[in-house]
Amino acid sequence: MTLLKRLLFAGTALAAAGLAAASAHAQGKPEPIQVGLIAPLSGIYARPGTVMKMGAELGIEDVNAAGGISCLGGAPLELAVIDSGDSVEKATNAAQRMVAEHPKLVGATGAYLSSFTLAVSEVTERANLPLLTLSYSDLITGRGFKTIFQTSATSGAQAEIALPIIMDLAEKQTGKRPQTVAIITDNTAASLSSVKRMKEGLLADVGLKLVSEEVFTPPLTDATSLVQEIRRGRPDLLFFLPTVISDSKLILEKMQEFRVRVPTISFGIAIAEPEVLNTVDPKLLEGVMSAVANWGKKGEEGLIKRLKDRYGEPWMTQNAISTYGDMWLFKTALETSCSRDRAGLAKALRGLDAGPSKYYPGGTLSFDDAGHRKGASLTIIQWQNGVPMTVFPEALALSAAKWPKP
Amino acid sequence: MTDTQILVESVLQALVAGLFIGAIYGLMCVGLASIFGVMRVINFAQGDFMMLGMYVTYFAFVAFGAQAFGTAVGPFAAAIVAMPVMYGFGWAVHRLLISRVTGTRSAGMEAEGHYAQLILTLGVALVLQNGAMILFGAEMVSVRTPLSSAAWFVGPFGDGMALFVNQARTIAAAISLVVIVSLWLVIRRTNLGKSLRAAADNPEASIYMGIDVDRAHRVAFGLGTAITALAGGLLAANYPFHPFVGLDYVIIMYAGVVLGGIGSVPGAFWGGMTIGLVQQLSALVLPTQLQNATIFVFFLLIVILRPQGFFGRNVERT
Repeated sequence: MTLLKRLLFAGTALAAAGLAAASAHAQGKPEPIQVGLIAPLSGIYARPGTVMKMGAELGIEDVNAAGGISCLGGAPLELAVIDSGDSVEKATNAAQRMVAEHPKLVGATGAYLSSFTLAVSEVTERANLPLLTLSYSDLITGRGFKTIFQTSATSGAQAEIALPIIMDLAEKQTGKRPQTVAIITDNTAASLSSVKRMKEGLLADVGLKLVSEEVFTPPLTDATSLVQEIRRGRPDLLFFLPTVISDSKLILEKMQEFRVRVPTISFGIAIAEPEVLNTVDPKLLEGVMSAVANWGKKGEEGLIKRLKDRYGEPWMTQNAISTYGDMWLFKTALETSCSRDRAGLAKALRGLDAGPSKYYPGGTLSFDDAGHRKGASLTIIQWQNGVPMTVFPEALALSAAKWPKP
Repeated sequence: MTDTQILVESVLQALVAGLFIGAIYGLMCVGLASIFGVMRVINFAQGDFMMLGMYVTYFAFVAFGAQAFGTAVGPFAAAIVAMPVMYGFGWAVHRLLISRVTGTRSAGMEAEGHYAQLILTLGVALVLQNGAMILFGAEMVSVRTPLSSAAWFVGPFGDGMALFVNQARTIAAAISLVVIVSLWLVIRRTNLGKSLRAAADNPEASIYMGIDVDRAHRVAFGLGTAITALAGGLLAANYPFHPFVGLDYVIIMYAGVVLGGIGSVPGAFWGGMTIGLVQQLSALVLPTQLQNATIFVFFLLIVILRPQGFFGRNVERT
């Protein structure tokens, strides 16, 4: 191609693009409304961040297919994706970059780990940018911030809801209530919040005696000392709170190796991420239960199938379904605020009263002054035949719970 | 069991775990020491060479290791396959990149090329991490073998005291020892070893004596890469990994090399072994979350009390 032809070609392309833009403007096509997703897309936590992105993309697609934000002339939602990296420092920088480089953002969701969300929300609060989060830590909504909205039950609340259910299930299926418990937890913010609440009276309230507590810094290189403590304590139950998959593998395999057989209840998603199956024998996982903020539930089978077909995800974790729900929550609040203004959206979210929640378990689409979603509950999942199935709440369960065999 | 029996059991169990994991740490430290000892290059990409070794092991296991050798022997056969592959990779990295800032080419450079070496190896590390992320994805994987959760049971003694010896770790530790002894024999007893030692001790005099110093460096770099990659491959049976796993281990490698005495290959092994033992035994008296902090407290103590490390000479102060 000669230079003259190339110039002609480029000029024609530019003119066509200009015409298309002018035509859209002339037709009065509303400008998209930008919402952000700040989540780890690189480093050790890239995988859950990628799943959050999948949920957000599906949510945006469905909101736009349903007519976008009708109050703003059917303006579509547009996703801005920001990589929070794999450390608190990187997450803070990413948040600063997000507010500086995306001035049109009206709200955001993120940032996976509670420690990341704590850092990111310091920045979004100053920028007056509403931030929806699935992160559990009690600290997130304990700082008097006005622009943070926690859609999940906090760690402490989750432990409060889950423990009586677990104890009742044990009694119903085995005929006796467990008396003693051992705790193995990593020292991340969400895990420590749950354990704190348990030790501050929750264990005593349900009649459990703590026989050993081991706190470790993730990632572990070996789990000998932790499992030796459980072997020594001979508890009736093990509460297990990891946030890194490798720690789940090391501990479960070490329990098998040391012939420690105790019903295991986890808190959090690290035990039920799809890639757990890349590293752990499904037989070791069978029966293990976990209390998680959200999971694919009854009534969401179509969505689960779409996630599977489009992205190859074998099941819908809390990262996908909650982020999907966040896009609908943005739509609901934007319809109320009827503005592209961050402050307006924050005000709408604070005053929202949109009835029972559809994509988060329990409660309503409304928030208290601190930013907790009112009546937020949780889901309990259990590994059954190589798949983590929702077994609680019973109304939303995809399978019946079976007390794990020791 | 009495309190004393419980304590004895816990100490023995921690000792066994420490020795086996220490042997693997020792092997990865030896890989780094082989490079540093001969070339005096601080290689920040060593953790990422280990990561690549893990992936080569994984793919070799998936492609043919499991079918040809079964899930028990396959992981170790695949780890051994990773050695020549990573030797070639290390050789090529040296030939194309590292040789430009080391050996005779570093003569006119600032600080004998050390600044350039630091920047270059850091750059290689970043390229490897992000390249692996693009090629292999962020999902954690591991070489799945039933041996990682199987133990040889020793006991019971007394009122139920017992010892569990992890099968995968035991085999990995045995392979580590064989490789380290073989390397030591190569360095001490062969012409290749003599040329490596000569290139390490006095590169200029070695050139006068007809030794190809650049080739010796290339061999040392390839060997160091292959040995650390083997350590990664052996670790992969017990430890799930991802493209950034090298960061978790590169500090352990450097601590082990400095503890053992910079430049000493046997010292690097004992340095790695010490780290494994301190990591496991410290959990008997301190909270588990301080395991890694304890390593560095111990490291500082050794640096204060014996600056040259376990096997270093006084003139080579750490």
